[in-house]
Amino acid sequence: MCVLERLSPLRRFWDRFWRYAGGVSVRMKIFGIVLGSALLLSAAFIYQARQTFYRLMESELRQLGLSIARDVAARSTDLLLINDLYAVHTLLRDTRNSFPDVRYIFIISPEGEVLVHTFGPEGFPKGLRTSHPLPPGRTSDVTVLRTNEGWVWDVVVPVFEGRLGEVHVGISDVRLQETLRLLTWQMGVALAAVLAIGMLVSSLLTWVLSRPIRLLSEATQAVARGNLDVYVQPWAEDELGALARAFNHMVQELRRMDELRREREMLRRQLLERVIQAQEDERRAISRELHDSTSQALSSLLMGLRTLMDSCDRASVKQRAQYLHQVTTHILEEVHRLAARLRPMLLDDLGLEAALSRYIREWQQHTGLMVDAVIHLGERRLPPAVETALYRIVQEALTNVARHARGATQVSLVLERRKEEISLIVEDDGSGFDAQSVDYTRHLGLLGMRERAELLGGSFTLESTPGRGTTIFVRIPLGEEKNHVASQTTLAHPHRG
Amino acid sequence: MSRPRQPLRILIADDHAILRAGLRALLNPYPHYQVVGEAETARQTLEQVQKLQPDILLLDLNLPDVHGLEILGQIRHLSPKTRILVLTMYTDPAYLQQALKAGAVGYIPKHAADTELLTALQAVVRGEVYIHSSMTRGLLENLLPQQPDAESSQDAWEQLSPREQEVLRLVAMGYTSGEIARRLHLSPKTVDTYRSRGMEKLGLRTRAALVRFALRKGLLRLEE
Repeated sequence: MCVLERLSPLRRFWDRFWRYAGGVSVRMKIFGIVLGSALLLSAAFIYQARQTFYRLMESELRQLGLSIARDVAARSTDLLLINDLYAVHTLLRDTRNSFPDVRYIFIISPEGEVLVHTFGPEGFPKGLRTSHPLPPGRTSDVTVLRTNEGWVWDVVVPVFEGRLGEVHVGISDVRLQETLRLLTWQMGVALAAVLAIGMLVSSLLTWVLSRPIRLLSEATQAVARGNLDVYVQPWAEDELGALARAFNHMVQELRRMDELRREREMLRRQLLERVIQAQEDERRAISRELHDSTSQALSSLLMGLRTLMDSCDRASVKQRAQYLHQVTTHILEEVHRLAARLRPMLLDDLGLEAALSRYIREWQQHTGLMVDAVIHLGERRLPPAVETALYRIVQEALTNVARHARGATQVSLVLERRKEEISLIVEDDGSGFDAQSVDYTRHLGLLGMRERAELLGGSFTLESTPGRGTTIFVRIPLGEEKNHVASQTTLAHPHRG
Repeated sequence: MSRPRQPLRILIADDHAILRAGLRALLNPYPHYQVVGEAETARQTLEQVQKLQPDILLLDLNLPDVHGLEILGQIRHLSPKTRILVLTMYTDPAYLQQALKAGAVGYIPKHAADTELLTALQAVVRGEVYIHSSMTRGLLENLLPQQPDAESSQDAWEQLSPREQEVLRLVAMGYTSGEIARRLHLSPKTVDTYRSRGMEKLGLRTRAALVRFALRKGLLRLEE
């Protein structure tokens, strides 16, 4: 618990960091990593170089200070012995002028008195005289003094083993610092230039690296949209190239499967279309046969019986003929009904509206339910396939209402010709059901309606809610009729041949 | 009732020989009906009509080459005095309407020919229109409006909320509840609620009534 709490600020920081860093593109991520490490490397390099250079220069300056001090001590010994302070001063001044790093030189007598110094009119600084005495027993010593002009290495060497005093040489680090600054600046500029080139190169690299990923991502989206004609050029022989090749292979496989599926679907449709067409043809033929030959023969029979009844005087024969007349009339009616049920002549002769009106009228008589119908199909006849499909769909829909829609009191039928499509809606206010759970494979009636609509390039929608009735929507485009007729004629061909 | 002195000249057009024979047998006992010719096809019928100029044509609609309804106009053109009595297996009022529109003056289903033919002939001769009694009901049903809608006034529509109007308009246009819901960013259930509330306010009970209402109000227009 405690550990977790201690971790949590780190975690929060990481989360916040990742919210920004994770949001940028891979390109930016790679770019950021390269840039960050380059900056870090440069900083470390500059720091290290400065340190090394400074240490090197410092020891150089110490050595320089020591050799100058020893040299001055040696050369001033004789002059001090003869007390030629002027010559000593000249020596000091010349020495100081020859070495720009030397800030000052002075000599203190064994009594602690400043004998000669190189300070100008500003005078000898206070406190300098006693700030760095030579430790006893040493032949030289260096210490760092902090002055108002920065750090100064104060080198002290005895003159004539200390009997004539001590030489102090002050080496200033001003020039060293300046050199250091210059060096740092130059290194900075050089590194910045290198960094800029590096950034350019890395951005180019990241673009090149992320391009195949971007292309792949675009291609994936295209495939998701259903476009299977994409091809991703493999970029190189690396992992991304392999990925591109795998992707292409996958798309190819998908395309093959899709074609296979389409082909199967088309075959299934053709078969279904053929079955439906054959069924309709058969029904039409039988219906016409019943209507024409059978009914006509029965009508003739009726007329013959009538003639018999009128011309025969024997009561028993007349009675018998009367009975046969009744039976024949009954058979004729039955044949009629059968023919209409198979396929109403009306549909072929006068069209969908007439056929539907009759079907609805009979359905109303049969079920006792009212159908409120609005039918607007215009003057022009619809293509026969569309008429048949719509007639069968209405038949199925109303049959379903009679069979399943318990409690229905009103049935609506709206059939309209629109600009480019036919819209059919059949609605009841019966018990309804859950439309989401409809299994089309188990409700062949619904499946049949959908198949008939889809075969004509149309759509079938079922909406139903328990307690709120059921509505079916069928839309059949009229633009595609040419296609359809063409496919039908080719299908009908082997049938006839 | 004045009997015509000259017998009435009748042409029978039917592709079934057995039926033509039956009709002849039916008319045989009546000397004032004289069958002057028979035709099996629409083409023959037209030829015979032109040649014979019969008083009456007994016409079957179901001829093998051209549908009987389609030659009615031509027959009237070729022989204006010929009265056409349709004798057919078709018992649907739609055929009846078409036949009457095209100029037929009588219509008898074949199954009633044996009992009704003579009556029909008499009526037609008198200049009346004869329609078999079994078919008049269907004719009238088609003429009467099926279900008068409650008269919904202009005001009722104006009193609907904009959302109700929008939903009803889309329902009348034939969109599914799902489509309307997606279009208006509502749930299908809400769409149903708007719809039933709006219909109730308009006094409409069915979708068909709503469509008729919308057509009357000009909320939607039909093609053609």
